Amino acid sequence: MLVRFLYLSALWFAIGLLSTLIAGSRLRRSDSVLSMLWLAGVILAGNFIAIFTFGRILEIFLSSMIAFVFGLYWIVRLRDWNAPGQVTWSMTVMTTVLFIIYAFMLTAFTPLNALSFIFALVFFSIESITLVLALVHMHESLDVVCRVRWHRLITRLEPVPDYQPMVSLQVPAYNEPIEVVRKTLHSLAQLNYPNYEVLIVDNNTPAEETWRPLEEICRELGPRFHCLHLDHWPGYKSGALNFAVTQTDPQAEIIGIIDADYEVDPDFLRELVPAFANPQMAFVQTPQDYRDHQGDIFSESTYRGYKYFFEVSMPSRNERNAIIFAGTMGLIRKSVLEEIGGWDEWCITEDAEASLRILKKGYESLYINRAFGTGLMPFNFEGLKKQRFRWCFGGIQILKKHWESLMPWAHLVDPDNRLTLAQRYYYLFGGLGWFSDVFNLLFACFLVLGALFNMLSSPVQVRPLTTTVLIIPAVFLLLHIMRFLWVLRNRLRISLGMAVATMYNFFSLGWAVTLACIQGLVQKEGVFLRTPKSKTASRAWHAIQVTEWETAIGVICLLAGLFSFVTDQNWRTFSLMLLLFWQGSLYIAAPVFSLLSLKRETAMGATVTEQGKPMLEELAARWVIVISMLMIAVFSLITFLPSPANLPGYSRFLPIDLSPQQILKGSQITSAVTTPGPTVGPTPGTTTTPKANVTVESANCRAKPRGNAEKIIILYRGQEVEIVGRNDDPRNPWWYITVPDVGGNCWLWGLTSTTTGNVDTLPVVK
Amino acid sequence: MQNQLQAQVSQLLEEAEHSSQQGKREMAYQASLKATSLAPAEPQAWYLRARSAPSQEEQLMCLSRAYSLDTTRSESRSELRTAVQNLLKQEPFLAYVFETPELYQVRSGRDLLINIPKSRAFETPYLERDPGPTRIAYRWLNLSLLGLLLGGVGAVVLAPITIFQVLRLQTMPLYRSDRIRLWVILMIAVFIWLIAIPISWLLLIRVFPS
Repeated sequence: MLVRFLYLSALWFAIGLLSTLIAGSRLRRSDSVLSMLWLAGVILAGNFIAIFTFGRILEIFLSSMIAFVFGLYWIVRLRDWNAPGQVTWSMTVMTTVLFIIYAFMLTAFTPLNALSFIFALVFFSIESITLVLALVHMHESLDVVCRVRWHRLITRLEPVPDYQPMVSLQVPAYNEPIEVVRKTLHSLAQLNYPNYEVLIVDNNTPAEETWRPLEEICRELGPRFHCLHLDHWPGYKSGALNFAVTQTDPQAEIIGIIDADYEVDPDFLRELVPAFANPQMAFVQTPQDYRDHQGDIFSESTYRGYKYFFEVSMPSRNERNAIIFAGTMGLIRKSVLEEIGGWDEWCITEDAEASLRILKKGYESLYINRAFGTGLMPFNFEGLKKQRFRWCFGGIQILKKHWESLMPWAHLVDPDNRLTLAQRYYYLFGGLGWFSDVFNLLFACFLVLGALFNMLSSPVQVRPLTTTVLIIPAVFLLLHIMRFLWVLRNRLRISLGMAVATMYNFFSLGWAVTLACIQGLVQKEGVFLRTPKSKTASRAWHAIQVTEWETAIGVICLLAGLFSFVTDQNWRTFSLMLLLFWQGSLYIAAPVFSLLSLKRETAMGATVTEQGKPMLEELAARWVIVISMLMIAVFSLITFLPSPANLPGYSRFLPIDLSPQQILKGSQITSAVTTPGPTVGPTPGTTTTPKANVTVESANCRAKPRGNAEKIIILYRGQEVEIVGRNDDPRNPWWYITVPDVGGNCWLWGLTSTTTGNVDTLPVVK
Repeated sequence: MQNQLQAQVSQLLEEAEHSSQQGKREMAYQASLKATSLAPAEPQAWYLRARSAPSQEEQLMCLSRAYSLDTTRSESRSELRTAVQNLLKQEPFLAYVFETPELYQVRSGRDLLINIPKSRAFETPYLERDPGPTRIAYRWLNLSLLGLLLGGVGAVVLAPITIFQVLRLQTMPLYRSDRIRLWVILMIAVFIWLIAIPISWLLLIRVFPS
């Protein structure tokens, strides 16, 4: 029942999502009756398919009842969403939960040796966390596209008469080209707000000729502008900004942070300052926008990648007062900044960290989804990779420092912690979300090792590759990709091609994120990633070299998939090849984007400079190498350990598996296989021909004598089949049997059946 | 002797203040100069000397000294800020020397050492919290979790140790927050133990199939 319920749920999930892709963004009303009808429609559509394929009427009815009640619960809980969103979410949650239960039962009750079991348990844990993280992404996507009622959506603030507090705009700079800063300062001079000052804080720029001209520009622009060069200053940007607070005008009530490359709209302050008339308002954030995103696919896709955060994540967070202060194009109340102790200098994403501490005090934040300025994006893929490393590293630092504040019991431990449950959820999963890329790499390692050991004809029995294990995760993967592309297209108004490029741009940084996650966990202080130095003058070669790890992983995945299929052609190795090609493509995207960024690099012609302690990529990768080696060692050890000698009693709890034929043609095949025909073979006991009697709920009969070989048919408990041969390993016997009814032969694992007759004289079949 | 010195300094400070009010800047300066040399730890002396100092550099130096001796003094704080602003208009260069929770000490482009007040609370540095009594319980809890992941047997043993540690720590005098933390750890440990039993059974029947 569990497996059929899982398939049915996956079907509802697919139908629900497909209907959401079509109508999710168009249906702009939320109505309980409509939601219930939509739910019933999706369930009935799935049932219709199930009845004619794998389903059984009674099971379908019971499953539908459970699904309907579950769907109703979410319809009530998510009243601000439209019907497609509510139904898709409920079906996604249900399918995920059912698959986790199925995966646990498979892990727990498959006859494995002890080491395989431990390994399978670790794999199950990783798989479960990955699925939960995918759910979080699904929730965020549906929350912004299918939401029909926004409670905190503000696109324009009403001006408050006579409220024009002093604003101190701080422009942190490090080694910035003077022409870029000049434009920024000139744009700030044009602000149509009467009461502000600008403080440009240059920290640690080594060459005096780089920072000295700033003084001159400030003098030109008048008394509002102040220039400050800080030398040998600790704490990088946050250290400099903390000092800048001491130099702000004592009258200043609000502090604005503007990156040195931002050209700011004249209305920036006039439009945003009214938000601070509310004394509880601590900070206001606007989207970061870029002015150099046209001309090549790297720039375009990078730009869309940034926009995703401001068009999807931030609006969703804003509904729960859980936004982050993004470090530029935002205003923050000075008294609140002082109250929380300023910017923390240990954190390399001090802005996001400060916002968490502010929200912890119970203040309000506001996101206004309207860009008030444009900056510059990284000049090439190397710069983008370093930037992503830094963001992720900072995210992990925040998680390490504040994890306890984000726990459900946090307010009991610290009554001053006024974070709501939703705020804790967003901050916790915002940090944990980075680990998706770590799990993705682990998953790729599992696949590559599986393919490798398969090629060496010593398949590792960690968890049986049942049809369900192959089909359901593939369904999840496909549907989540579709969801991601849909959100990109819907929120960013881009073509499908650009959405695919943006998605790959995202994934191409997976390696940098993985390294940052691991380094964030083991390092005590902030570091920046140093990519390999090029010894050649060729820029194309350098572009490849900065992505040498990604290239290597991508190529390994592609080759492993290809060779696995070539050496043993069946639908399982074909599926494995497809999965490995998908994984490989994510990593291969890195050198592709690196090469594509050459055009942009030529046009911009600037170098990447970063402050902080460097961390060589080779050194950062050592953990990945150690974990990979450990996995190879465990895999090797597993192949040497014997499988259980007899079929253990616990295997009766193993969930049944449905073959592709059963899924597609359902009852006919099932009955053909499960009903032992009276004409098949002689009656037991009347002949000495050896026979095997299936002792488990269901047993796969395979094309070859190994656990991951292609499945021919499924035999069920009590079914008796004729044995015509055996393999040459008496410790791990496989019987070569005659397929009942339809003829032909296949291999049945010895541990799934008992035998009658003399099996010792059977010929060994190669 | 001490009282005599104190009386002399008080007299000088009074004289400096009086002269300053009458606009006799030079007399005020001389009196405050003498006071700072006799009592270098007296913030009022430095403050009065700053007000009558003949140069901007000396004024800054004196204000800075006055502030470092008494960080609660609001007049020296605001005057110091104005003086630093004036200095930065001429030379916008400051090099870091050191800092305390109350102030930064910096070196200006003209080699002056200046103390600059901080206007913020001091946050606990990253991962340098007090060890706290719950640390040991957390350590055992983490080990239990690892044990659960690796087949459960470890957790069956380690979770009760965690519970024992929690109960032992509960007998000690603790802050309310630590006591709640320990109860939470206890509940998680019990939960881990309950999950670990069936999982470890599944592992053990694989190790000892008979």
